Amino acid sequence: MKRFTIMLLALGASIPALAQEEPFQTVITPAFSPVTWERLVNAADEPENWLMYSGTLDSQRYSKLDAINISNVSELEMKWSYQIPVIDRAETVPMVVDGIMFITEAPSNLVAVDAQTGQVYWRYDRDLPEDIRICCGRNNRGVAILGETLFMSTLDAHLVAIDARTGNVLWDKEVADYKAGYSKTAAPLIVKDKVVTGIAGGEFGIRGFIDAYDAVTGERVWRTYAIPAAGEVGNDSWAGESWKTGGAATWITGSYDPDLNLIYWGTGNPGPDWNGDVRMGDNLYSDSALALNGDTGELAWHFQFTPHDVHDYDSIQVPILADIQYQGSNRKVMMWANRNAFYYTIDRETGKFLQGQPYASQTWAQGLDVNGRPIRVPGMEPSYEGVLVSPPIVGGTNWYSPGYSQQTGLFYVTAFDGEQEFFKRDEDYEKGERFTGGGGRYNQPMDAFHSSIRAINPATAEIEWEFPIMPRSSAGISTTAGGLVFTGSADGYFFALNAATGEELWHISLGARVHAAPMTFSVAGKQYVTIASGNVVYTFGLRD
Amino acid sequence: MRNYSQFWWKGLLAIAAYGLLLVSLPAQGEDAGNLYNTPYDIGAGERYFERQCSRCHGFDAKGDDEIGAPDLTGRLARASSNVGIYNIIREGIPGTAMLAVGANLPEAQVWQLVAYIDSLSTDPANIDLPGSASAGNSLFTGKGDCDSCHMVNGQGGRQGPDLSRVGERRDPEQLLSDLLTPHQEVAPRWWTMRVTSSDGTHREGLRMNEDSFGLRIMDADAKLWAFSKSQIQSLERVEESTMPSYSQTLNDSEIDDLVAYLFSLRKEN
Repeated sequence: MKRFTIMLLALGASIPALAQEEPFQTVITPAFSPVTWERLVNAADEPENWLMYSGTLDSQRYSKLDAINISNVSELEMKWSYQIPVIDRAETVPMVVDGIMFITEAPSNLVAVDAQTGQVYWRYDRDLPEDIRICCGRNNRGVAILGETLFMSTLDAHLVAIDARTGNVLWDKEVADYKAGYSKTAAPLIVKDKVVTGIAGGEFGIRGFIDAYDAVTGERVWRTYAIPAAGEVGNDSWAGESWKTGGAATWITGSYDPDLNLIYWGTGNPGPDWNGDVRMGDNLYSDSALALNGDTGELAWHFQFTPHDVHDYDSIQVPILADIQYQGSNRKVMMWANRNAFYYTIDRETGKFLQGQPYASQTWAQGLDVNGRPIRVPGMEPSYEGVLVSPPIVGGTNWYSPGYSQQTGLFYVTAFDGEQEFFKRDEDYEKGERFTGGGGRYNQPMDAFHSSIRAINPATAEIEWEFPIMPRSSAGISTTAGGLVFTGSADGYFFALNAATGEELWHISLGARVHAAPMTFSVAGKQYVTIASGNVVYTFGLRD
Repeated sequence: MRNYSQFWWKGLLAIAAYGLLLVSLPAQGEDAGNLYNTPYDIGAGERYFERQCSRCHGFDAKGDDEIGAPDLTGRLARASSNVGIYNIIREGIPGTAMLAVGANLPEAQVWQLVAYIDSLSTDPANIDLPGSASAGNSLFTGKGDCDSCHMVNGQGGRQGPDLSRVGERRDPEQLLSDLLTPHQEVAPRWWTMRVTSSDGTHREGLRMNEDSFGLRIMDADAKLWAFSKSQIQSLERVEESTMPSYSQTLNDSEIDDLVAYLFSLRKEN
């Protein structure tokens, strides 16, 4: 006790001197300051920070940082690595605020580290029930921040508010009943003073929705179901009572346009996934992009990519918003490379389809009609004996983030050209049990297929270039003002391409599959790039 | 022509098992044998598997490298008995994505699932093959010249898969197909790569490994070569086996002997 008093006195004595003279030499990162809504709206203008899952509200994943660029990216070296203690795959996109990095971990944990060194400030380890229902691994993809509070999804379908300075829990809200198959894996999105968040569980006969919670109190402000209830417009697109267990999960983070005050969010497959017999109709709003009013959650418009899906082609992609030159005029668009292997450019004010064509191998549709609705090839529905269809269940792409560069005007996506036999099975819904109605089987080794990073011109939907990698990558993409595209691969590489040409500029083998998207930030004027590979988060920078 | 499926005995076992079923049930992973292993049970186990397990392990139970879910159709890495399978299903595998099944899942259903998984591998004790394993052994090193490419217990060549335990991962029908139509199912490890480097050098060899930025091959002299893809001028991938078909070089009874020998190659207990 005595010694503690002496230390305090010594610290107190030194403070006035510090304020007036040299900065405290042992402080290596700047102080954390609260993240206001204005900062989030203008996140692109503080590229030293990565303030949300997709970097900015338009989800372009484009950073204005250019210290690392085409001419020097080959000099990147590892600065630090952080080992995630619970073994599982890391799908996290870290967030950086004023020199502090927040990393989510499997199953539903969170750690704050110094962004320059990877050394830990605090951890939040969540106790999970033993009987959680999850379809596809114990993942968490990231957090959101408003003020000094972090918001995180948990596998037991809760939304948790955590103090960014200490890791203390401020509130903990049940979003849905995990025993009915609901879970949460995606980073929430802040819209003004609310936390907007989706739900996972599309393989358990859930009914998907998008929620908004008061950031301070944790009270739910609105809920918009992804499947209309009886009596609502669109409910007649579901046979009988099938809408009650129709899936349409909302398991990835959406985007927001402050000028239009619209939230854009993708919805997942209708359930059961591979047996459409029990849910005849278009199954609105499964496999759709939804545009919701930013204050009320009211549906402004929808665009359904795959009506009556029977192949699990979730429209769970991050919507990328940009203003582009389209047929001679400036157009507010949304870019979307769908799991169904078609790329779409959509007017984001109205939901009108502008352009679309396949960007990856597909055999299920002859093409898109003038409204963007697929023209189906007969006989491609799953059967009891199996039917060979491209793309396979994992899709032409999937949940991993695409990117867009303001320099090149190109959209970048991780694409897979594969095929699979689809099977149909008869199943009855049981609460909390899988409700998928079939499955898939590859009949060739994975190495026989092809994957590429593809650059698409959103004005024409044409592929401008591609960079082949081994199948099947589940890495996301980031772009920078340094003329770069950063991404990873299934065989454990992290690499940089020239955003204009697709030329490879740098690669490093990290030794484990990349399931995550890279992000970039800077501290004390130095730019870094971070990627999760296997169970490790790596940060790279230029040689000092 | 040949058909090695001789599972008629399972029907008899099923009838016997139903009798026993009324007497005692195996409880909590004790080694009392699985009484739920009739064709009906295996079918029920398969339906449960397709619904609950196939998302990770695949609809054909052959696993998923991406998720890290193992192939369940051959020798299991973590279980050597039905009790071992049962315990994994009941308890999961800590530190992996393999979660325990719900505690309220009835015992019978877990054992049906065990029976289905067990049915995916072939128990040699239940198969009576027409060929002679010892004659097959002689063919392997003699007329068939198999050992010029394949090793068994450290003896033999390097240009084909090590066959020391091939009986654990291939059933007799698959072995027969391997001998007669070797191009039908070739693992990428045994494809041939023809490489021309940027300096004009040609190399050809088995595809030890290929990734997004590099390639490793082994040539006919068992020399190992590594290439960076950025330095490769041209690359040809031959997705066929280098193994010849034995349909013309061995007669039916010799092929039976070779199958019997290969199927007998297992871990020594």
